[in-house]
Amino acid sequence: MASKYIALPKGVSETVFDTAISRFREILGDTAVLTNAEQLAPYIKTMMPVPDADHAPSAALLATTVEQIQKIVAICNQYKVPIWTISTGKNFGYGSAAPVERGQVVLDLKRMNRILEVDKDLAYALVEPGVTYQQLYDYIDEHQLGLWLSVPAPSAIAGPVGNTLDRGVGYTPYGEHFLFACGMEVVLANGEVLRTGMGSMPNSNTWQVFKWGYGPYLDGIFTQSNYGIVTKFGFWLMPAPPAYKPFVIQYEHEEDIVEIVETIRPLRISGVIPNAIVIAHALYEAPVKARRSDYVSGPGAIPDEAVRKISKDHKLGIWNVYAALYGTQEQIDVNWQIVTQAFKQSGKAKILTEQEMGDDPAFNYRAKLMRGDMTLTEFSLYNWRGGGGSMWFAPVSQARGSETLKQMALTKQILAKYGLDYSGEFIVGMRDMHHIVDVLYDKTDPAQTQAAYQCFDELLTVFSAQGYGTYRVNTAFMDKVAETYGPVQRKIHKTLKDALDPNGILAPGKSGIR
Amino acid sequence: MNMAKWGKNLFILISTAIFVNGHAWSAPPDTSPQGFAWKDSAEIYAKICAYCHEAQVAPPIRNRSLPPEYIRAVVRNGNRAMPAFRASVIDDESLAKLADFVSKSETGY
Ligand SMILES: Cc1cc2nc3c(=O)[nH]c(=O)nc-3n(C[C@H](O)[C@H](O)[C@H](O)COP(=O)(O)OP(=O)(O)OC[C@H]3O[C@@H](n4cnc5c(N)ncnc54)[C@H](O)[C@@H]3O)c2cc1C
Repeated sequence: MASKYIALPKGVSETVFDTAISRFREILGDTAVLTNAEQLAPYIKTMMPVPDADHAPSAALLATTVEQIQKIVAICNQYKVPIWTISTGKNFGYGSAAPVERGQVVLDLKRMNRILEVDKDLAYALVEPGVTYQQLYDYIDEHQLGLWLSVPAPSAIAGPVGNTLDRGVGYTPYGEHFLFACGMEVVLANGEVLRTGMGSMPNSNTWQVFKWGYGPYLDGIFTQSNYGIVTKFGFWLMPAPPAYKPFVIQYEHEEDIVEIVETIRPLRISGVIPNAIVIAHALYEAPVKARRSDYVSGPGAIPDEAVRKISKDHKLGIWNVYAALYGTQEQIDVNWQIVTQAFKQSGKAKILTEQEMGDDPAFNYRAKLMRGDMTLTEFSLYNWRGGGGSMWFAPVSQARGSETLKQMALTKQILAKYGLDYSGEFIVGMRDMHHIVDVLYDKTDPAQTQAAYQCFDELLTVFSAQGYGTYRVNTAFMDKVAETYGPVQRKIHKTLKDALDPNGILAPGKSGIR
Repeated sequence: MNMAKWGKNLFILISTAIFVNGHAWSAPPDTSPQGFAWKDSAEIYAKICAYCHEAQVAPPIRNRSLPPEYIRAVVRNGNRAMPAFRASVIDDESLAKLADFVSKSETGY
């Protein structure tokens, strides 16, 4: 007899699952427990090159309170039902809203979405998991709080809790999001509720202002992990500066990345340029302005000549360095002097500001991102190939020119082997760079989908063999990346898992941990 | 000071403290037990759809008399690079109204 479910959790019979579902319904009500195919359709679509069925959930639970979540974990423990928690559920290119393993129940916290506090003077927020950046942006605007967010490129529809828990990035001076996280509330697998750091102490009013608390710092173990369900999350906001000056510096050759990075690093480490600068390749920017099919047809990666032609036609550099200055006008004037002097030295850089680039769509959306505004323009990337396939390849690099050139060349060479283009950028930390490459492919084309899978696999193999680790990965490759970090770390992760979640009910498989 | 008067003064003191707290230190916390809810279709359109469909990222969808059922299906299932939107993001009732709004829309939003 056909099952009434579209999938079942691993090792759980339909009869046992029936019981678990009816218990979930007692807690949440019928309308907040989704099991039919139509209701679950939006949880199934991913951009990964594997059958969506491999990541189909068995059900979704729409919880809104801590008490409900405590009761849910009790049922999960009783019936050994695994749950996959999402907050705003927009983890595109990393697995979207689908679970890491087929049959897991999605715990969808989108409707748990109160903004609990925004403190104007201390410049922090405390929010529930379902709060989107747009919701917070509107709240700050409505209450005239004079604070800026730092957002990832899907800004409006994503949210600070899920993004930061996956250690995501934005583009303001607060761009390395987890650095600015301060205090979490976590429901543990045994139903206990932990408040991290200063939040552990009754009556404390320093939960959102001091990160470390007392004793071992715990917040880190709840990021990219499956040790708990985060139900409240504190983080710092940037006071809106009196003046803001976004700019782009264009270079004409791929090898120029060496000069770019060597020039930027001292400016970034010393804080002259304070934000998470992006060094974007022409092919990352081109989709905002051009169509691939206007320049190339047939199989194979786009040739360098075509890329040069695109950048000429559309006023792009082969590298485009987006950065900004923040502060009073006087501070900006002084720093602008330092920046322009540094970049003018070799005569290769073209320095452009809002004055020259005001109407340019690529510049405009970057300028928005560097001040934490809402935009989804970066989704243009998906018009490049069409077909909706995407995986982020995200190795970490030193902020050293020779290293970035080496990583770029290696990535490009492996992509080309599979007929795929290098749509890459480097997001500049102080000493590191997130090398972010959108592995774009047409998911409606089975051959290209298979090539994309093999290509990604090879990228991970080759990079890890050279000592380059990836900072984050989609759910189809989590075990593979966990392997690359070696057996000792894996064992520690497992030891923690066994201690905190002995029945393995929380997202087994996340980051390769079960 | 008799107790009643003292109680009244205390009340004034506390409410002043709340007032000062609310305005000088922080914005009043959102205490609505429901959390966020969409105001209307125009808001959903502006804060989700328009970022792509009015920004040359995705094709225009307004003024094309697209059937509401089609719009609802694409929102729930996604379409190639267009993400799928869950009922927890846009509830069924709001989606029905949004589909009509997009389908029938004429000018501005
Ligand atoms: C065009 C494009 C550009 C992008 N640019 C960026 C970018 O600039 N920076 C960036 O970081 N990402 C980027 N992304 C990737 C991704 O879309 C964002 O990171 C997005 O913020 C993640 O989705 P979310 O915020 O809805 O988090 P969610 O999907 O809700 O959560 C992410 C993950 O965190 C875990 N998690 C979530 N909630 C909880 C919880 N309450 N308790 C425990 N664990 C939890 C889960 O494992 C979940 O899968 C981009 C994607 C696209 C398509």
